[in-house]
Order: sequence, then structure tokens, then C-alpha cells
Amino acid sequence: MKASVASLYQAVELNQEIPPLLIGERCNPNGSKAFKEALLAEDWDACLKIALDQEARGAQVLDLCVAYAGRDETADMVQLTKLFAGSCKVPLVFDSTSPDTLEQVLPLYPGRAIINSINLEDGGANLERICKLAKKYGAAVIALTINLEGMALTCAKKVAVAKEIYALAVDTYGLRPQDLLFDLLTFTVGSGDESMRDAAIETLNAIEQVKKELPGVGFTLGISNISFGLRPAARKVLNSVFLHQAVEVGLNTAIVDAAKVLPYATISDEDRNVCFDLLFNRSPDALMTFIEHFEQAADVEEDGDDTGMLAEETLRHKVLKGDKEGLDDLLTGLRGRWQPLDIINNLLVPAMREVGDLFGRGELLLPFVLQSAEVMKQSVGLLEPYMEKLSDEGRTSILLATVAGDVHDIGKNLVDIILSNNGYKVHNIGIKVPAEEIIAKAGELDVDVVGLSGLLVKSALLMKENLAQFQAAEMSQPVLLGGAALTKKFVAQDCAPNYQNAVVYCMDAFAGLKAIREFEAGTLHSTTWEEKQVAINKPGPQQEVLDRSHPVPEVPFMGRRLVDDIDAEKLFAYLNQAALFRGRWGYRRGKMAKEEYEALNQNTVIPLYNRLKEQALNEGWLEPKLVYGYFNCYSREETLVVRSETGDKLFPFPRQTGSPGLCIADYFRNEAEGGDKVGFFVVTIGDQLSRITHELYASDSYHDYLMLHGLGVELTDALAEYWHEKMRIEMGIQHDGGDMEAYVAQGYQGSRYGFGYPACPDLEAHLPIFELLRPEEIQVSLTESYEMVPEMTTSAIIAHHPQAKYFAV
Amino acid sequence: MRYICTRCGYVYDPEKGDPLNNIPPGVEFEDLPEGWVCPLCYAEPEHFDPLD
Repeated sequence: MKASVASLYQAVELNQEIPPLLIGERCNPNGSKAFKEALLAEDWDACLKIALDQEARGAQVLDLCVAYAGRDETADMVQLTKLFAGSCKVPLVFDSTSPDTLEQVLPLYPGRAIINSINLEDGGANLERICKLAKKYGAAVIALTINLEGMALTCAKKVAVAKEIYALAVDTYGLRPQDLLFDLLTFTVGSGDESMRDAAIETLNAIEQVKKELPGVGFTLGISNISFGLRPAARKVLNSVFLHQAVEVGLNTAIVDAAKVLPYATISDEDRNVCFDLLFNRSPDALMTFIEHFEQAADVEEDGDDTGMLAEETLRHKVLKGDKEGLDDLLTGLRGRWQPLDIINNLLVPAMREVGDLFGRGELLLPFVLQSAEVMKQSVGLLEPYMEKLSDEGRTSILLATVAGDVHDIGKNLVDIILSNNGYKVHNIGIKVPAEEIIAKAGELDVDVVGLSGLLVKSALLMKENLAQFQAAEMSQPVLLGGAALTKKFVAQDCAPNYQNAVVYCMDAFAGLKAIREFEAGTLHSTTWEEKQVAINKPGPQQEVLDRSHPVPEVPFMGRRLVDDIDAEKLFAYLNQAALFRGRWGYRRGKMAKEEYEALNQNTVIPLYNRLKEQALNEGWLEPKLVYGYFNCYSREETLVVRSETGDKLFPFPRQTGSPGLCIADYFRNEAEGGDKVGFFVVTIGDQLSRITHELYASDSYHDYLMLHGLGVELTDALAEYWHEKMRIEMGIQHDGGDMEAYVAQGYQGSRYGFGYPACPDLEAHLPIFELLRPEEIQVSLTESYEMVPEMTTSAIIAHHPQAKYFAV
Repeated sequence: MRYICTRCGYVYDPEKGDPLNNIPPGVEFEDLPEGWVCPLCYAEPEHFDPLD
């Protein structure tokens, strides 16, 4: 029976016809940044992807290591073993020196695994436990030649320790010689360390000797250790030559990055000789020669399935596809023939421009734009160490700020992402920034353009005022305005006249980008608006006669209650998926055919949603809580007077100027009619999610930032929808189980109005709300613009009147 | 073809028109008059996405 290992799907011989057996090394947080990030994010699917990618590139066995300070190695190993066992065709190597961990995962594995590793550094205690496990579960074992004295450096020591281990593993614990794979350790010849010049020789001799003196055993090596410290392109060649030599003397398996092994036949004689000189210490300046040789040689990086494409084309491709795989090596290769700054300006920036154009044509969706931007950001990060600090001279710079009293920043941050990844210098000074500070910073940083952002209606008005202040301060920069409450008309008619330089409405980040380019071209001018023939009524109910003779509902209590035991999972049933997927996330159908959009949903959007949902619930990111209550009230003209234990609270509501002249107060009986009842609530999903989204932004995870923020905002609305339903049921104006789909179009009795929204845009109403409901107890507070913090909070007044529906004043 | 408002989920169905905005049945989304906005949340037509 030939020595083999096996997965659920196949057996693989340890002694391949064409050695060595390649053990993929990348599923290791200490060796692969990508794997480390996936592990820390507990993105198990991403971990699996790295495994499958190695399979695709030729790994015949996969090493799996999850040891990371602060994490539970056993839990992580169990998690990934279960996942990999079913999904990986190739057998696994359990890379752990913890007998406890191995004890948990070995029984889970439906094949024959390899344990990596045993050694004698503790005198043999762990070796004993692990050998017994190997015997019990039939695993093969990698043995490192380390003992109490440390790592064996010389051939003699390596052989001695190997024999010690053999004696224990085979003679004492009953393993067979073929169950052992000795890793006789190899050390780098690339560091210049005098004492290590013979490192390769010692290893190769040891393999030869152990093979002779301990017949039947196998071998492995962490091949890339031989070249640690050298340039990646050079390492690839040296590793491949060393591997060839090791196989010649008896190495049958090797731990490598399978994608980076060059067939020996493809290595030129010249390259081989330079490697031999270094490996066999054939001359005192072998290392210098080696380094020089590979410095001059043209660097042609091949990137697996991009073979055949020029590296430049590959980079453009990666930006367009949002693919970060192999970016480091690709850029290293490009640096062989480009200056880093030129890579940015001539390759990366044009690629991002192309991304913007595709988005503008509706051929690329926002989430993919963000993934492209992540590639851009990462590329710049990888190039930065090789450049003089990117000179700010000559780069157009933009100051970005959310105006005073406003905490919303998703839009502003998207602008930051898009502008900075198109080569502009962005100074993002955050939220709630007063005009004085904007003026000061604009001067201090000597920016070219100022961008203001804000969600609220109040913020739009503030922008108008700010511009007057900018004018008084004689600011000279053009100002871009963005925010949900803004319109072209408002910017053109109300804002632009306050300021002598250009004032431009930008509806999204790409409009901002366009504006910057126009600025650079000298063609930027203020937004204008033409009155068009609008044959439309204000949307909303058109009836004029309000009938307030229907009964006032009973309410279960008067006053206010706090609810903090809401099951977060329930909220997802009330979540508006269209608003989330198509609105917040940007996964629009646009010009796509029905089938194509269906496929996008099935393959990308829905799995993403499920993953985020699961993560949010499992990690406890959602902390839904609310305060709500019912109060006696009566309307008095446009004001709703609400009676409470702490006195009357007044809610003045605006009335539509045109027909039909609606006003929220009209939906409540006046004093003469006997007064009415009103409901209010303030609901929040807490600030955890908000904090996490900001961490994602800070760590340049643009895509996930957008996704999670969108989810949070829609879940807040879902909570409001959920609680509004609860209150309708409490008031007896609805029976259980309404039609969720109908809720979108207010398919229920009455209406809730969120403060700040079109029917009651004035946030000052939050003051009496706070007196009535005391949301401080659920950790909700107000900014100086009366906006609620945390961001994912919403308030409402509940009207039960059957004719109450949304409208705009 | 029906269109969905990506801000609030309201669906414009040409077979139903939009009574809140005095749009009769039979008007395709592309033919809605200048100035038309979502009857529920006032989003402009650019925020609408084809549904089916």
C-alpha cells in the first residue's frame, strides 16, 4: 500500500510520480495577509476561497493554520475543518502544535490528514500526545528537527534529532516510518548572515543522510524560507532551484505557494548558476552577484490565469474587476519597468476613470465601484514605500465637511473615496463642522475646492447661510453642495446668489468628480435652474374635506414606556429589501435583462445580505430599543397641543400653501370636538453598528462600509415599521399580521410622520418629544440642529385618522 | 414595465397609473410628465429602477 493521504473525495500519494507533492501554504494568518484578514473578520467563505484558489493553481494538499494571538485556535480550526472537509477536493494538513486542537479536529476529518507538526523542544511531552493522536486517527505526521537546544542548524544535528524523534514516534508510539515526514529545516541564504552561508548545504546533506539511515521516512520543507529577505521575483527563482535540488536528494513533499513554483526546465542556465553559487556557497560574493543579477533582469510577472496578458493590462483588469488577488506581486513586477508615481498616474488613475465612466453609463454598479476603489487604495498603499511622499504640489485639493448639527456622512465619505482614488487630495474634516471652521481650514490647508454635505432640510438651509458667511470672509474657492434635501432649484435660486464664486449642486460622488474636472479645465460654473411647465399637483392626498367624526381609539396606557427587549431578528421581516438592495446598496437593474438581474440577485446580493444578517445577529451588532407613548391632545389651528404630566407640549406644524392645504394638526380633533389621542416614538438600533461601519471606513473596506451602513439605516426604518404596526394593534385599528408589502404604500389606517421629513421638516419638534419620551434613557441625544444621535435612530408622531397619509408642505 | 422607487419601495404600475398625482392608467413610466415625483416619498424619477 503506497503511502497516501486522503480527503473526502480522493487519495493522494505522498510519493508522486513527479515529485514533489505540493502542499499549499497560504491558509495561514502568519504567511498570508489575505488569509489573516479573512480569519480576523471570520469571513469563512473568504478563507475557503483562498484554499480553493490554491487548488486551482496546483496545490495537491493544503496546509491549514489558524493560530493567531487572541483567537481561539481550536474553535477556528474546527470551524474551518468542517468547511474545508466538504469543499476541498485535496487532503489537508492540520498545522497546529496544540494537542488539544488536534484532538478536536482529527475526528472531524473524513479522510487521512497530515499533522504539522511534532518536535522535541519541550522534551517530548507534546510529541507523545500528538503521536498517540496520529496513531489513533491514522494521521501522518510532520516532524521538525528542533530539540531542547533549539533548531538544528547543522547536518549532524539535524540527523541526530531526526533519529531521536524516529525512535520515539516509531519504536515507542508505534507509527510506521512512512507516516513520518521530516522537516529538516532550512534557513535563508539571503540575509547576508555569514553563519548561514551553508544553510542550504546543511539541509540538502541532511536529507540525503536521513534518507539513507532511516529508510521509509518521507520529507518536507518550507521551501520559501531559503530566500527570505530577497526580492519576490528573485525568490521565486531561487526557491524553484532549491526545490529541484532538494528533490534530487530525496525530498518528496514541499510546503510552497503553488502558484509561485517555476518549472526547473524554464529556468535559464545563467539563472541556475547564479542560484547554485549562492546555495552552495561557491564564492564569497555570491549573494551580491545574485542580488545584482535579479535586479537587472526584466521582471515578467505572470499571474496565473492572466497568463498572456501584459502586466499593465492585468492591473487595469484588476481595478475594473475589483480583484485584489496577487496585487503585491503584480506591482512589484511593474516597478521593474515603471516609476511608482507613473504606475499611479498612467495606469491606476485612468483605470479608475474608466470605472467612473462605466458607472455613469449604468454598466457598473456602485458596490463594484467601491471594490475597484479598494484595489486602487491598496495599490497606492503598496507603492507608497517606494515613492517619495506624494507631493501635494499641483494636486487639486478638496475640503469636505458635513455642516453643523448634522452627523450624516455616508455621502461625504463616498465622495472622499471616489475623489481620493482618482488622484485628488482630500481633506475630510468630518461632521458637524461650523462655518467658521470651514473658512479657517479652507485657508489653512489652501484647498482648491470646498464641498459641503448634509442630510437634513435644516442642513440645506445652513448651507445657504454658510455661503453668505463665506462671502463675507472673502473666500475664493468654488463650493460643491451635496445632500438628500438639496435640489437643483434650491441651490440655483437660494444658494448661488449668496456667494460670488461657483456654487454647484452635486447629486452624488461622480457628479462631484465631474465638477472637480470641470474646475481643473476652467469650465466650472454655478448650477442654474429653469422654471419648467410643471403640470403636477403636489403629491399626497388631494381631498379637501376632513371628517373627524370617527371614534378615537382606546390606548393601553397613557404616558411613556421604554422597550429594550426586542428580538433583533424580527426586524428583518419588516426590512424594505428594494430600498436596501437597489437604493442604499446600489444594486439596480438599470439596463440589465431580467435574467441577468435575477442572476445578480441570486449570486451576489442575496448571499451578501444573508451573510451580513447572520453576522449582525451573531455578533450582537443590533441593539434595538425604543421609547414610546400615548397622550391626550387636541389641535388648535396648526398646532397640536399634547397634554402630559409635565405640562402641555406644543407641536406647531406647517400647512401646505397650495391646495389642498394639508397640515398634520388637522388629523386630530380640536378641543371643542373633545380632543384626541396621539402616539409618539423614538426608536434606535443602537450605536454599535454605526461604530463598526466607521471602523470599516477607517480601514478602507469601502464596499463593506457601504453595505453595512445601508443595512443599518434600513433596519432602523424596519424597526419603525415594526413598532408602528405594534401601536396600530394596541390601538385596535389593526388586527394582527398585516400585509408587509402593503405597508410600503401605507396600506393601513393612519400614518406616522418622521420629524425632518416632508410633512414636518422642522426638527425643533424633537425638543418636546424629548420632554415627553425621555429618550436619554435609551442613550439617544440631540445635536444642536436637533438631530438625533446615534445616527441609526428615528422618531415619529402617530396619527390614527383614516385620512392621514404622507404629503409634503 | 413597472418601476420601483429605490428610496421607499413604492411601485409605479402603468396599468394603475398614479391617482395621487392625477396620472391615469396607461401611462408608461418614461412618459410621466416633467416634475413627477414619487407620491409617497417625493423621490425624483432618477431614483426609480425597472422592476418587470
